[in-house]
Amino acid sequence: MVLILWLPLFFKEDQCTMSKRKTAELDITKVKLTKKEFKRQWGLIFVAALYVIYGIVFYYLPLGGWIMAFQNYKLKTGLFHSKFVGLAKFKFLFEDDRFIRVIRNTLAMGIINLAVTFVTAIAFAILLNEVQSRWFKKTIQTISYLPHFLSWIIVCGIIHDSLSSTGIINEILLNTHILSKPYNFFAHPNWFWPIVAFSNVWKETGWNAIIYFAAITAIDPALYEAAAIDGAGRFQRIWYVTLPSIKPTIMILLLMNIGNVINAGFEVQYILGNGLVQRVSETIDIYILQFGVGNMDYSLGTAAGIFKTAVSIVLIFIFNQIAKSQGDEHLF
Amino acid sequence: MKKKIISCVMASAMAMSAFAACSGTTEPEVLETAGPAPTADATNAAGEEVFSEDAILDMTMFSAMPGNEINSGNDIQERIAELTGVRVKETWLTGQTAQEAVGSIIASGDLPDFIDGGDGMAQLYDAGLLVAWDPYIEEYPNLKELYSDAEWEMFRQDDGHIYWANVFCNSYGEPKATGHNDEAFWIQVRVLEWAGYPEIKTLDQYFDLIESYVDANPTMENGTKNIGYTCLCDDWRYFCIENAGQFLAGYPNDGSVIVNLTDYDKPTIEDYNTTQITHDYLKKLNEVYNAGYMDIDFATQTYDEYIQKLSTGAVLGMCDQYWDFAYSIAGPYAEQGLDKMGCDYVPLGLVADGITEQQWHAYGDTLNNSSGCAVTTSCEDPAAAFQFLSRILDQEIHDLRFWGIQGEDYLVDDDGLFYRTEEMRANWKDETFKANHCCTYSYMPQWLGTSHDGINAMQPQEQASEYYAGLAEPFANCLKAYNAGGLPDMIGSVKGVEMGFWYPMYSYSNSMTTETAGGVAWERMGTTKHEWLPKVVMSTNFDADWASYMDAYAACKPEDFLAEMQEELDRRVEMGNANS
Repeated sequence: MVLILWLPLFFKEDQCTMSKRKTAELDITKVKLTKKEFKRQWGLIFVAALYVIYGIVFYYLPLGGWIMAFQNYKLKTGLFHSKFVGLAKFKFLFEDDRFIRVIRNTLAMGIINLAVTFVTAIAFAILLNEVQSRWFKKTIQTISYLPHFLSWIIVCGIIHDSLSSTGIINEILLNTHILSKPYNFFAHPNWFWPIVAFSNVWKETGWNAIIYFAAITAIDPALYEAAAIDGAGRFQRIWYVTLPSIKPTIMILLLMNIGNVINAGFEVQYILGNGLVQRVSETIDIYILQFGVGNMDYSLGTAAGIFKTAVSIVLIFIFNQIAKSQGDEHLF
Repeated sequence: MKKKIISCVMASAMAMSAFAACSGTTEPEVLETAGPAPTADATNAAGEEVFSEDAILDMTMFSAMPGNEINSGNDIQERIAELTGVRVKETWLTGQTAQEAVGSIIASGDLPDFIDGGDGMAQLYDAGLLVAWDPYIEEYPNLKELYSDAEWEMFRQDDGHIYWANVFCNSYGEPKATGHNDEAFWIQVRVLEWAGYPEIKTLDQYFDLIESYVDANPTMENGTKNIGYTCLCDDWRYFCIENAGQFLAGYPNDGSVIVNLTDYDKPTIEDYNTTQITHDYLKKLNEVYNAGYMDIDFATQTYDEYIQKLSTGAVLGMCDQYWDFAYSIAGPYAEQGLDKMGCDYVPLGLVADGITEQQWHAYGDTLNNSSGCAVTTSCEDPAAAFQFLSRILDQEIHDLRFWGIQGEDYLVDDDGLFYRTEEMRANWKDETFKANHCCTYSYMPQWLGTSHDGINAMQPQEQASEYYAGLAEPFANCLKAYNAGGLPDMIGSVKGVEMGFWYPMYSYSNSMTTETAGGVAWERMGTTKHEWLPKVVMSTNFDADWASYMDAYAACKPEDFLAEMQEELDRRVEMGNANS
């Protein structure tokens, strides 16, 4: 994959001619694929074709497996000899209280996570940008994105330890006499979503902020100078220059992440969850793992997966339309 | 141009390799006859026929239980490889349930050569991924003698073949059990010693003792705070909180249900989750929790944290299966000398009021036909695999696995009795030593009971002389005080109760899937109990929460599950009657 991504570098020559054409004819999409054109650009077309093939093979062909959702799929009988059961698997899903709960949890945690990680990343990038000392800035930035490289199992281990009755948090609360006896954070469903959100913020803020740093760096310093001359203070400069300048980046990232809301996570909930909080901790992915893989009910797992995909697509469409109507950056 | 061509070639190579990754799997077939097995090709210094390094086959095994991986180049593993021509790399369950782990293995298509799928065994069979034992049972007497014909029948699946054999609780010759490998309310011997070895028969007495001990001794000698009682609720191990109800009522470990024998010819299935005894048991835990004598993290601790906690020696009591904790804490105990401080656990055979006899201890062998050691269709040389399974049952290799190397790990006295020195015993409790030296292949066929020589026990923990010699002083004193020969005497379960043909019923519920209404109910009951059992124990208003729990439980339709269990019970009874 990495290799394929590098390939276009070898075709700089072609790209140059293309951009020249662009200025000449203005609308590149109207170029007809004649024999001559093909000869001239065969390299580029070849690479593009690879991407198309890759997409078909790894993204569209597997969709054939969706047929499982309408069968009672058994490994022994395979895709072609398993019994068709129509919508029975979907019926089971939507009659299962647990599945409804699981959807609620997934969406809730997805939205909470998106909101907090989004806001913290932007805030962090802007705040750090205001720091004058280059050395301090770089150090903080490096430290802040280090947790991104830890795997969830380690992060969850740390969180679980710190929040246990003998962990650091309880110790602080006890020593400062805020609590009189240790509090078990993981035994109370109300605490679960905040804990997950916090874990995400701690792990990803620094990493997510990188792209905003880049966007902020690209802002023309003349704008700040002009604003300063007009008497804008620090906060006004942030409000009237920095934020509007990185708004396109924010919108595109928001759009791309909206589709991921339904991927609220698997590892965190799987590792930190327990019997007492399962009502609020289980996500669609955990449900799929348990029924699809654990109980070998691939059909049920596929049905849940289809539902998840459908929700994702709907979400993206809605938010893309909203962005479009607001005149902001949009995906399609 | 040259660059262009190279890059294009590279790109197509990438695409091709991606295609290759999705190649199909082969159809499983059931062999009716055993194939030829490999033979030794060299002789060693001692003149034995052995396998040279080139001839040794490397195989893999996955067991759906947590375990410790041993190091490569392990002394005994190498020795066994030399003798049998097979070296097996074992891997274990990590942080998943057995079913999920097995499900992932099946979905990936990347199977080990040997597998013990635990609760996921039925799925492996359903997917047609196991090799039938039948021809090999006939070919290898070692394998055949593992079970009687009637017992082998219990392993036969509905397609007429046998695909696995459970390797545990199976005695050769006379049983020699000195331990209690089952569930119990455990208590540290220092607590009993402190109280002058009182007789503890009920939950009230048990918790009164713990509470008064904690009041008198809030910390251990080293300053660690004593924890009165903890209870594991993690994942499938929540049996620690879940199934005490059946034992307190005097029933054996059918695991998921009680089999009522009032009418012996027509046993009936009963649910222990809703009984008064279970209610009282949980209410007692609730009182203990609210009084502050129970571990505050009990409901949310993971298995690792639980073992860590036990390893400090601070936990005075808990309800658990012996195998679930004892082996994991033996190393840390020896290291810190906790056994000499009286932190060893002894089991108590508690009963509810009005119950006189209990069956916490299962005497004799228990045949759990729901899982066992199997060979998968991914194994390239099943003949060699089965030959290996047979060879490791040879007394010589069996001794190597469980006793070790003669002279190094055990000595033989004039009467032929095996024994160990203090140092050898310490070695076999040391995790590092074990990883480098010991290789028991613990999920492969093995024996308990008496060795072929008629003198020794098949496994050292059952050798009476070894057992007593290895006991720390406080532990030995405790046994003496209660006039107990071993842990079975300590727990004092009723003897002479013959287990029915149906025992244990958990072998059926373990293999249920969401295919049937009963399976769905079973799944939902599990989820509900996972949530509510700790909740009622931690409740500030037990009666109200118990009522809500009962409502939530009834909503899972346990009657569907019980009906299917009754059907299976009837089937087993009928089968048993037909066989006898």
